[in-house]
Amino acid sequence: METMNSAEKKIARAIADIPLVPSPFAEIAASCGLTGAGILQTSRELLQKGIMRRFGAVLHHSKAGFTKNALVVWSVQPSQTEKAGKIFASFSFISHCYERKPAFQNKYNLFTMLHTKDDNIAVIIDFLAEAINNRNFLILESLEEYKKTSPEYFND
Amino acid sequence: MIMDEIDKKLLNILQKEFPLTEYPFAVVAEQCGIGEEEVLIRVGRLKKEGIIRRIGAVFDGAKLGRAGTLCAARVPEDKIGDFVRIINAEKGVTHNYRRRNEYNVWFTVNMATSDKLDEFLEHVKEKTGVTDILDMRAVKTYKIDASMEMVS
Repeated sequence: METMNSAEKKIARAIADIPLVPSPFAEIAASCGLTGAGILQTSRELLQKGIMRRFGAVLHHSKAGFTKNALVVWSVQPSQTEKAGKIFASFSFISHCYERKPAFQNKYNLFTMLHTKDDNIAVIIDFLAEAINNRNFLILESLEEYKKTSPEYFND
Repeated sequence: MIMDEIDKKLLNILQKEFPLTEYPFAVVAEQCGIGEEEVLIRVGRLKKEGIIRRIGAVFDGAKLGRAGTLCAARVPEDKIGDFVRIINAEKGVTHNYRRRNEYNVWFTVNMATSDKLDEFLEHVKEKTGVTDILDMRAVKTYKIDASMEMVS
């Protein structure tokens, strides 16, 4: 586990949602008593350490046109999860892929989140099933979005 | 909102190659062949329309020792409204969807520690009377990348 010092946490909070101005880091710096260069330096370090996964735009999928999402869960033999997980991870339309415990309904242990623009979900799932040679899956289609936000890691 | 080719290109660059430099939008402008001012206007519009939720850092919760889980709850139809309201009030709940299954409410929770996560789920069960809530923790992560490629 990585730890962050209080200066890094302060910066982390400040760069969660940068202002849309020509020099956003200098503007943030002014409001928290730092320098723009200092914020950029710390940001690059956090990226390099992998504490920050990426820096950039976070989209609202459905508003960006990816109106269909489905959670598809797969029943995969323990000896095959690693291979299947890596295959799934390589597809751009899969945003998340996890092995979870306990498995859903005591068998669906590999979880994939899919995003697409239209009604081609069935085609995509068919393609995935073929890729891992396993048709033992369950589609959990989303019917309504109740909440979608980013986690706050530095405020609790 | 209708997005043109420049908007799509902007979204791809802003998601995947945001330049961590003093004047990031000027760099992006050059890549798109438009002016910095136009970039700021377009990005401002994309954000106002809610297509861009935010531009900023995405942290790795697991690396920071945070506890996260995916829960699936079996909620009676007449209790869904209350259940969703109570769940959504917790800021550690980041995603919450109704799905087509007997387990009809699926949500993700992220807390500072595993104990706090357990406490929250106990609190939810007590407060809502919904006791059938599955807590399915990730034991292996193969991918987390919520960026989406915009294609024309």
